[in-house]
Amino acid sequence: MRKQYFLILAFAGLIAILNGCNFGGHYKALVVTGQNNHNWKASSPILKSLLEQTGIFSAEILKTPEKGGDMNTFNPDFSKYDVVVLDYSGDSWSEKTKTAFVEYVKDGGGVVIYHAADNTFPEWKEYNEMIGLGWGRTEKDGPFNYYSYASNKRNEKLVIDTTAGKSGSHGQRHEFAVKIRNMEHPVTKGLPVIWFHGKDELYSKLRGPAKNMEILATAYADTTLGGTGRNEPILITTTYGKGRVFHTVLGHADQGGGPAMECVGFIVTFQRGAEWAASGKVTQKVPYDFPDAVCVSLRTNFREITLEDDLAKIPAYDLTKSTKYFVNLQNRIRAEGKTPDKLREFEKMMIKILENKEATDEAKKLLLHEISWMGSDLCIPVVRELAKNPQLKESADYALARLQIIN
Amino acid sequence: MTDKTNRRDFLKHSATMAAGTLILPQLIPSTALGMGGKLAPSDRIVMGCIGVGGQGTNNLHSFLWSKEVQFVAVCDVDTNHTENAKGIIDRINKNSDCRTYGDYREFLEKEKIDAVSIALPDHWHGLIYSAAANKKLDIYGEKPLARTIQDGRAIVSAVKKNNVVWQTGSWQRSGKMYRRAAELAINGRVGKITRVEVGLPDGDSRIGTPPVMPVPEGLNWDMWLGPAPKVPYRGVCHGDWRWTLDYSGGRLTDWAGHHVDIAAWGIGMDRTGPVEIEGKGVYPIEGLYNTPVEFDFTCKYANGIEMRVATGSRLRFNTGAAWFGEKGWIHVDRDGGLLHASDPKILQEVIGENEIHLYKSDNHFWNFLECVRSRGETVCPVEVGHRSISIGLLGEIAMTTGQKIEWDPIKEEIIGSTVASRLLRRPYRQPWLQPTL
Repeated sequence: MRKQYFLILAFAGLIAILNGCNFGGHYKALVVTGQNNHNWKASSPILKSLLEQTGIFSAEILKTPEKGGDMNTFNPDFSKYDVVVLDYSGDSWSEKTKTAFVEYVKDGGGVVIYHAADNTFPEWKEYNEMIGLGWGRTEKDGPFNYYSYASNKRNEKLVIDTTAGKSGSHGQRHEFAVKIRNMEHPVTKGLPVIWFHGKDELYSKLRGPAKNMEILATAYADTTLGGTGRNEPILITTTYGKGRVFHTVLGHADQGGGPAMECVGFIVTFQRGAEWAASGKVTQKVPYDFPDAVCVSLRTNFREITLEDDLAKIPAYDLTKSTKYFVNLQNRIRAEGKTPDKLREFEKMMIKILENKEATDEAKKLLLHEISWMGSDLCIPVVRELAKNPQLKESADYALARLQIIN
Repeated sequence: MTDKTNRRDFLKHSATMAAGTLILPQLIPSTALGMGGKLAPSDRIVMGCIGVGGQGTNNLHSFLWSKEVQFVAVCDVDTNHTENAKGIIDRINKNSDCRTYGDYREFLEKEKIDAVSIALPDHWHGLIYSAAANKKLDIYGEKPLARTIQDGRAIVSAVKKNNVVWQTGSWQRSGKMYRRAAELAINGRVGKITRVEVGLPDGDSRIGTPPVMPVPEGLNWDMWLGPAPKVPYRGVCHGDWRWTLDYSGGRLTDWAGHHVDIAAWGIGMDRTGPVEIEGKGVYPIEGLYNTPVEFDFTCKYANGIEMRVATGSRLRFNTGAAWFGEKGWIHVDRDGGLLHASDPKILQEVIGENEIHLYKSDNHFWNFLECVRSRGETVCPVEVGHRSISIGLLGEIAMTTGQKIEWDPIKEEIIGSTVASRLLRRPYRQPWLQPTL
């Protein structure tokens, strides 16, 4: 008996240690900022917290000197980190720091290039190779890369265009559909292939060496909104030496972040891209509020929506306001549908709302339709009770019929 | 019953006569040939329409290319539709006699016709297809066959029991290219087929949530809803109904009746079904529309062949049906008539006399009319229509439950999952009753 108890304790201890590894930050991330033609003061703390939110990163922010300052004082030890996130566009780094960064990546260090970080260092050859494509580059740095547009999507092809000219443009800010071009890459595996991104700049006409580079996702730059009429690269990966670089052009920061950063698509691809850059793999699950081919999905407080959030919102369900929390619940049920015990847990949660006098009829109708297929004997009493309510009788009967209580 | 049988014999006889004339076509004026020509009014197939919105009207026009039909009545829950269709028919008939109905029960009770063209939202298919078959009418019915597998089986049973001619509106079966592709596949021109990929258009319908609004004049909204749950009118009706699960399964069930149908034809599995179905969908998180905008599921057949059905952007060839065999692949799609293969020589292959020759029809509507006369089987009979949409509907069940569905294609039962089995039906709103076998 005593021995068993000890074993249990030892096991619990092991779990705690394993959890600790994950929770305390398995990977170390450095967010480099301090100069940018964008609002780095808004974006860099958000990037740091997004990394930490994954539970697998510890992150710190390092600021360079201000513009015109003595860049010799910026001299970080990159080798301490698994991934360096660049939220930086500004003065050249010192030769020593540049060399250290190149060595860090060559040795297998991870890099994330975030939005305007592909605007900087156009003269730095190695940096251009790391980012693949950039803004403010010319034909001497490499070709334009994009996917052609075709009314039949089958005919859209990667175009490598050596036309002379300076790179970088965007039309007016708008919501746009991102299309995954490689569904099998660790960063994109399991994501919807098409998803709407929050209002953002759609970086276009990027060019560069494009060596060891893969375009993971594109977005169509609509000509009616000042775009190029091409499918422009949105998520890019390159390898440089043993290092991995994840390059996202998304996430133009407004004060407080704004829709481009609040977009769940931006958040999740950034988090997954950082993990891939750090480790070559991705262990994070795709969240339930990920956007889809028709809907933008924003996290206004940058917090993942929990089951508790969904359950708290569903009783006040109003179709004209938001359907998200109920759809989240459905997605959670689908994800656990293989496990009968899990279905029972969801059923119990749904019964509570069905019994809740404050819950709207609309909410109850939806739950009755959902419970009609996944419910058990547990829900029968409340469904029968609701069948006495003229407003809910039809939906309750629907549930009873599917549950084979009535015909 | 007797009247009907006599009428059938009569129509059959005039077909034989028309066919007889084909031996010496140069001697006979084309107007006497039946198809495309003119028959005496008493020899014509007398038809009506139930559902004359967009697709119903298209089908009406397609039938009117043949001079051997005469339309006499139309039925729709929207008087704007019936008035429009009556106008088309009266112009052709050079009279004003086309009768209009708002209730299919009255239409079926009063009209003495040979055949009916039906084009309705999916949630109405089970009831009205079965009712028309029970009235011994030959039916041209739009795909997908039914909203649920139980509805589908009830329709098949009614059609078979009443021995009526049925054509499913899966018109690609009457397209040369699709038949050629399926024939090459089924005869092993790319070797033994190991897998099939079926790409359907990406989902892209966005509406948000329109406010409740007055029901437009002429539309009987409650009748439009019929057996589906009662909801206030928000402008989602003709043309928009496909994106709401109460009426349709979205792009998946819309297109399963086309590319899935052709894919199953090419592996000779169009009268049975898979044994395992598993996959995932993406459902829009905001707005009134709730059908999946992305889907990707795989069906396994008893012989080991796998059929993957997905939104086009997830697949190598995007939309269409593609068969992969040990020696290569064949892919067919609309896109202006696209038929290509891993080796272009495959497309030149001749199908020998003793090989499998698939049913040849070059006009889906005329094939139906020929069968109304001959009492033969159409190119897309009811069992096939049912089995094609069953793949889409089983995919829907797999995605809704997150389970790997084990399916018995003979008994048409889901094995080992009570919860998934419940999704084989959608309960009907009173007073409508689900058709039974």
